[in-house]
Amino acid sequence: MMQKLRQSGTLLGFVLILLFFALKLPDTFLTARNLINISQQLSMLAVVATTMTIVMVMNDFDLSVGSMASLSGIVAAMIFTAGYPVWVGLSAALLVGVLGGLFNGFLVSVVGILPFVATLGTLTVFSGMAFLLSDGKTVFGRDIPASFSGFARAGIEIGDIKIPMLTITAGLVIFICWCILEHTNFGRRLYAIGGNKEASHLAGIKVVRLRLYAFSLTGLGAAGAGLMYAARVASANPTQGSGLMLDAIAAVFLGMTMSRRGEPKVIYTLVGVLILGVLDNGMTQLRVDSYVREILVGLIVLAAVAVASLSKLRQA
Amino acid sequence: MKTLLKTAVSLFALTASSAWAETVAVITPYLAQPGTQMAIEGFEAAASEKEWEVNVIDTAGDVASVISRIEDSITQNVDAIVIAVDPAQVNVGLQSAKEAGIPVVGLDAGTDPLLVANVTSNGYAMAAETSVYIANRIEGAGKVVMFVFDAFPPVQIRGVVADAIFGNFPDIEVLDRVTPDVSDGGIADSRAKMEAILAANPEAGSIAAVWAAWDQPALGALQAIEGAGREGEGIVITGIDANPQARDAIALAGNFEASIAQDFGAMGAAAADVVAGAMSGAEQRARVIYVPTKMVTANNAGQ
Repeated sequence: MMQKLRQSGTLLGFVLILLFFALKLPDTFLTARNLINISQQLSMLAVVATTMTIVMVMNDFDLSVGSMASLSGIVAAMIFTAGYPVWVGLSAALLVGVLGGLFNGFLVSVVGILPFVATLGTLTVFSGMAFLLSDGKTVFGRDIPASFSGFARAGIEIGDIKIPMLTITAGLVIFICWCILEHTNFGRRLYAIGGNKEASHLAGIKVVRLRLYAFSLTGLGAAGAGLMYAARVASANPTQGSGLMLDAIAAVFLGMTMSRRGEPKVIYTLVGVLILGVLDNGMTQLRVDSYVREILVGLIVLAAVAVASLSKLRQA
Repeated sequence: MKTLLKTAVSLFALTASSAWAETVAVITPYLAQPGTQMAIEGFEAAASEKEWEVNVIDTAGDVASVISRIEDSITQNVDAIVIAVDPAQVNVGLQSAKEAGIPVVGLDAGTDPLLVANVTSNGYAMAAETSVYIANRIEGAGKVVMFVFDAFPPVQIRGVVADAIFGNFPDIEVLDRVTPDVSDGGIADSRAKMEAILAANPEAGSIAAVWAAWDQPALGALQAIEGAGREGEGIVITGIDANPQARDAIALAGNFEASIAQDFGAMGAAAADVVAGAMSGAEQRARVIYVPTKMVTANNAGQ
């Protein structure tokens, strides 16, 4: 019973939140336009959170994703400013993401630094690099090619509805992450590492190498989200991705309350992302004070995780 | 589960008392900044006289969330939106507002064709006033330390003007152009940077002045100069914004000699007038509306 409550509590809470907003905002909340808006607003967080799930299944963390998102946006913008084509900027930014992730993986799995400490260090390094490259300035205006920022405005029209490219991109990333974690040997091994690193190593799983790969995928995701962010705001700023990290971790934690053994799952992370986004959208429409909104979001995350934690204790 | 239900009930209670009709959404990532706060309070005061309902939304530094909140406000069908953020960074949201026929007014934001108008202080003029004040006080000769912040466009332009003015005096040398870390509010890191500069220039009179693009670095520099016991060397400090802490320092008639007071309250009230005009369909010709500023020195700092 407690197990069921733990697993379904967060989902039920999400449904209640949806019902609450649907009742309070009958004309605006459940409209196609608003739902598409929410999907677009959440797209960057969804990418960071689902790729963060990849390292979190191994009980690891990546605190540097926000700084990496900022750095990738700056790298792309600086390359655009130098007159190179858009694809060069995008490729370089994504490569920086992979390399940054590999560096995180190296520190964690080869050097053996705790993920919290290692990625806290690289958070500062990536952030400093973003400031250094941009000279602390926001890159905007003519330096950002219209074909790049236009991506955030583009979409695929289906009848009267236009599905934004940012939403489609996030959907693709979620699908790929889901396939990787749920339907490949690589994913299953990551879950095994999360279950018991020592036992996985003894069972012949190449723990060091897999952790390297996992961190580089998270870095790649963070860089991708940074590019999406830069396209959306048509500019690149050395601090613009910093808010993504805590929300991404909160979303994964919310999602973890829904899985059977408390392990992260991509689909549940997506529900976590949706909870955060729907709360933001609905409370803005209800004109709840910004600061009250922050307190409520924090309390809801705490409530969900507390219910999960208490039910685990009861089981034990 | 219980907790979740309770939270939902509190949410309901929180919002049950508020009316449905909304009119003006004020959206900013910088509500924690005193200037933005005062401008928005000025707007709210003017809006309450006009009996508007105002929804102030702070995205706590997140610029992309400003776009999201603009989209939410469009969904709500508000009558007007006021933004206090660089419009170039929220262009997608401004475009959506234009398509929905909702006027957007900038409050100390920046100019953009998608804004009805931007109401602000003249940053170029403020920087010119303080840098010319320094040039005159040091009689056109000496080493000047500049504190700038090029990442934020309204502050960046101040640095550009000061560069030009100091560059026009052949005997003024810009000793260092410092960008302080503002994550601690700007005072502490500016103090540390100034302490290092003072240590590198130990001779009395080797630094003639400190020009700061806003007040916090000026206060940090003042603390460093006093801490090093070099307040008697006549180092002239100027800031911009004239916040209460800066006014107190200026009133003591020490090294911190001048700052420029922006009338944020008047800025908010002027923005409310622009919103009123836009909602009534009146044509807004001036795309930038400057609110007058005033130089604050020891003579008027207490006023």
